[in-house]
Amino acid sequence: MTLKRFSLSGFLSLWPAWILLSLVVAALFAPAIVPFDPDRQNLLARLKPPGFESRGAAYFLGSDELGRDVLSRLIYGARISLAVAALSVILSGAVGILVGMAAGYLRGWSETILMRLVDIFLSIPAILLAIITVAVLGPGFINVILVLALTRWPRYARVAYGQTLAIADRPFVQLARAMGSSPWRVLAIHILPNIIGPLMVVATLEFGLMVLFEAGLSFLGLGVQPPTASWGSMMSSGRNYIATAWWITMFPGIALFLLVLSANLIGDRFSDHIGDGK
Amino acid sequence: MVRFLLNRGGQALIAVFGVVTLVFFIQRLSGDPTALLLPETATQADIEAMRVTLGLDRPMIVQYFAFLGDLIRFDLGRSYVQNADVWDIISSRIPRTLQLAGGAMAVALLIGVPVGVIMALTRGRRISKALMWLILAFQSMPTFWSGITMILVFGVWLRWLPSSGTGTFAHLIMPSIALGLLSLATYARITRSAVLDELSKDYVRSARARGVETGRLVRHHLMRNSLIPIISITALELSQLLAGAVIVETVFAWPGLGLLTVQSIAARDFLVVQAIVLLGAFVTIFANVAADILYSAVDPRVRLAGKT
Amino acid sequence: MKHTMKGLLGAVAMIAFTLPAYAADITVDLAGEPSSLDPHLQWNPDSYYVYRNIFDNLLTRSNAGEIVPQIATSWTQLSETELELTIREGVTFHDGSSLTPEDVVFSVKRITDPEFGSPQLGQFNQITDAKVVDGNKVVLTTAGAYPALMAQLVKLSIVPQKVVEAMGKDAFNAAPVGSGPYKFNDWSRGVAVSLTRNDAYWGDAGPFDNATFRAVPDAATRVADLLAGTADLVVSIDADAGAQLSSNADVKLLSAPTERVGYMGLNLDKAPFNDLDMRKAASLAIDRLGITEGLLQAGEVPVSQMATPAHFGYSADLPLFDFDPEKAKQLTSAKADLAATPIELATAPVFDQRIVQAVQQMLNDVGFNVSISMTDMPTYLGIVRSEPSENSELSFGRWSCACQDADGIIYPTLHSDSAWSRVNLPEIDALLEEARVSLDPAVRQAAYDKVNEMVRENYYLLPMYQAAVLYGAAADLEFDPTANESMFLNRMSIVE
Repeated sequence: MTLKRFSLSGFLSLWPAWILLSLVVAALFAPAIVPFDPDRQNLLARLKPPGFESRGAAYFLGSDELGRDVLSRLIYGARISLAVAALSVILSGAVGILVGMAAGYLRGWSETILMRLVDIFLSIPAILLAIITVAVLGPGFINVILVLALTRWPRYARVAYGQTLAIADRPFVQLARAMGSSPWRVLAIHILPNIIGPLMVVATLEFGLMVLFEAGLSFLGLGVQPPTASWGSMMSSGRNYIATAWWITMFPGIALFLLVLSANLIGDRFSDHIGDGK
Repeated sequence: MVRFLLNRGGQALIAVFGVVTLVFFIQRLSGDPTALLLPETATQADIEAMRVTLGLDRPMIVQYFAFLGDLIRFDLGRSYVQNADVWDIISSRIPRTLQLAGGAMAVALLIGVPVGVIMALTRGRRISKALMWLILAFQSMPTFWSGITMILVFGVWLRWLPSSGTGTFAHLIMPSIALGLLSLATYARITRSAVLDELSKDYVRSARARGVETGRLVRHHLMRNSLIPIISITALELSQLLAGAVIVETVFAWPGLGLLTVQSIAARDFLVVQAIVLLGAFVTIFANVAADILYSAVDPRVRLAGKT
Repeated sequence: MKHTMKGLLGAVAMIAFTLPAYAADITVDLAGEPSSLDPHLQWNPDSYYVYRNIFDNLLTRSNAGEIVPQIATSWTQLSETELELTIREGVTFHDGSSLTPEDVVFSVKRITDPEFGSPQLGQFNQITDAKVVDGNKVVLTTAGAYPALMAQLVKLSIVPQKVVEAMGKDAFNAAPVGSGPYKFNDWSRGVAVSLTRNDAYWGDAGPFDNATFRAVPDAATRVADLLAGTADLVVSIDADAGAQLSSNADVKLLSAPTERVGYMGLNLDKAPFNDLDMRKAASLAIDRLGITEGLLQAGEVPVSQMATPAHFGYSADLPLFDFDPEKAKQLTSAKADLAATPIELATAPVFDQRIVQAVQQMLNDVGFNVSISMTDMPTYLGIVRSEPSENSELSFGRWSCACQDADGIIYPTLHSDSAWSRVNLPEIDALLEEARVSLDPAVRQAAYDKVNEMVRENYYLLPMYQAAVLYGAAADLEFDPTANESMFLNRMSIVE
């Protein structure tokens, strides 16, 4: 049930972990490896296919609707997409887990109020929260993360709540309680380590979804601000060119697939270990 | 049990009320529709006049109580933008949304569940991995991309299906698939883990040892016991479907509530937004109540499986 | 016997197929649903495309842009404030009743009644009175001399008084009755509005038996509909989307320059654009020809002023802005601190983001520090119309008054009264007011010439290009796009 089975070497024996790691490395060292400035436009080289050469420089994956290099944008886009996914998962996970554990452990009125709050946030349309956040706070990277966290934390809360309920009655928790440990201490030391497994599974699945949701926000004009590249914004602006310039969307699409795939396979490995531990 | 239902139902109603109140106030933080309703040449005085006409010049709290007063009389009000009764605008959209949500659910369940069973039964083999790759590939395509790609292939190139709009069953196929692909992977995975869970249980092991045929085993025991997590995830998937529907409806020009939500928020058509949110809150919150009842009817361990 | 029947059927079929009028229906994909079909209640392009076919207007514009008779057959200016219009006889509404001068007076009073709350009130509130004279004439009285009146009357639709009074506001909006070439048939909310030909129309009713206007929000889907043959005419596409159409013989692209001007709005109260050199540098940095010919490619033309050749008040002799990034760099490096001020460029998703991004890069290339801030339309409107202190430093905008008169574009963007204007100069205000009330075209033109020159010399705004409108159409559809972006079904035809 716990994470003790995971060691770094075990993690690295998974090939999806290597994909994820290489995406992270590409994102970190983007400035050193990209052939072009990702925002550099060239109106004379718009919509050129992969392999096109202009003034001695090659556009390996072609150019987009403003003549920007798709490869460079793809690499820089990894920074935004991975950062949005990681930060929104951390933020929504932290809030959701805290609320869910508190509701499951404290019970009574706190439980009712917190879980109804979860219901309320689950049933406000995400798009409404997105538009209002952007209208009130302005657009941008931080606010995209905020929007995603606002709409996703209830999912962690529900899982954490269910897990906590199941564990709160166990003897070791009762004992700690009887010995006068503060609720926060019980939650942090006794409950959290025992419920983190399933929550990690949720988090890995959410990680891939967040990249997709950022794409959806871009489609609706609420994502990261142009000209900043993210995989989602590349796909949403490139979708008008599927028939005439497939490469604009195809490559970020493949990158997205690899990310979702590896996040899910890693999540599976987590859940399989949890299953074995039962 | 009755007490529980009353209590839970009452709480759900309060939550719905909370959603509506929250949405009433937060959407008014984001500006109002007057500037959009007037032509570009309108002066500040024209805007003020329009605000008075629409009643938006009143203090927010007065507007709120007026809204609650109307709501008690089941009056959802009038749309500022569409010049029509809010109920008339929404009611024509409800069947279309149900069709789309039903179609998407059908795609997700009818493909997702069998795929999940197959993946569980073939665990560790190549076919299981291939299926996993496939469903993840589906899930990782943004709907705005898969939607327009389907339109180009099946609507424009092959001409098998109408490229957009509503009317016939054929119109429903592509939007249902585009929306269903989102949930398909979730269902397949939930089913896979639920079936795997069951497979490890003693009764299955002994049945297998006795030589019970796999197909029979799946039909008679595994599916029934794995259904609970599948049903309970549906409550969560429902709200996700409504969110995903926004993009699918935009791409396929499908006149459902999702598209109406986006357009109404974009136009600051407050009363329409409130009505949609009210409706959505009822559906999602009571779906969750139903799921909770399901949970409490079974072993708490099922509860865990259902949530991951 | 069987054979005869077959032969007969065949003969009937032959006749049916050789008759000239093969069932001609048209399906038009609009970006959104009409928000209203009551012509006095709403003003957005999607409504306007539809209801203009159901209603006749007092006057209209020919495809060449001339103001020509429609319901009014002739007109005379009685005095500075009185216009007399002769009303066409023999026009009937779709319910069979005749259109009378009383209906015209009713329509004018309805739209100018502040209680009614028409969104178009601001365009007609100069009209203070309307009355019937001599049985078939209507005299309109304006508050003062109002030279743009005729241009506004092109947008005044005539509604039947008796029907409107009997049905009430909502019912009339849901099932409008007009006198135009097409009758309202059905409005399936959120899906489509369908019209049928008015065979009793006094003029040319056009080639289509039925017309359907659908709401298809996504441009890529509209193009796909056209390619799939499920739509005959689609609006709001750009040249890149149009590129898909060029390789297909069944469809074609139609375009025309419009009276819409794409421009950059500058905040003159905030750094850096409170400084003339900075404004000049910004203008020098923008490659207008590069934007129109390298990027937009649909027939857009660079402009030197907030007007186009389609407007009255256009200054034909004003030279285009220079494009000289080197000179711009000299200007910005001379005041490097000022140029480095963070500049927020406000835009909304409805605008072409390619232009906004291209402008951002051009400005940053010469040393500015521009970042894009894209918000949804109401937020964008709130920003660009707010007080200068809250306004963004820079904004992208596209402007058309659908009136082809400089008063409808230069006045709101440059007069200090207007929420859109960042300019507050008594001299410009005086010139614009003079042009607004003078009935002498020469006086008006002289005033606009002066304003256009002042704006160009001081870079109060950066006009960029005259926008083009682009439609995708079935190859057999003949349609002449016009500068005011109108779409009259009875001016279209089908080629065989």
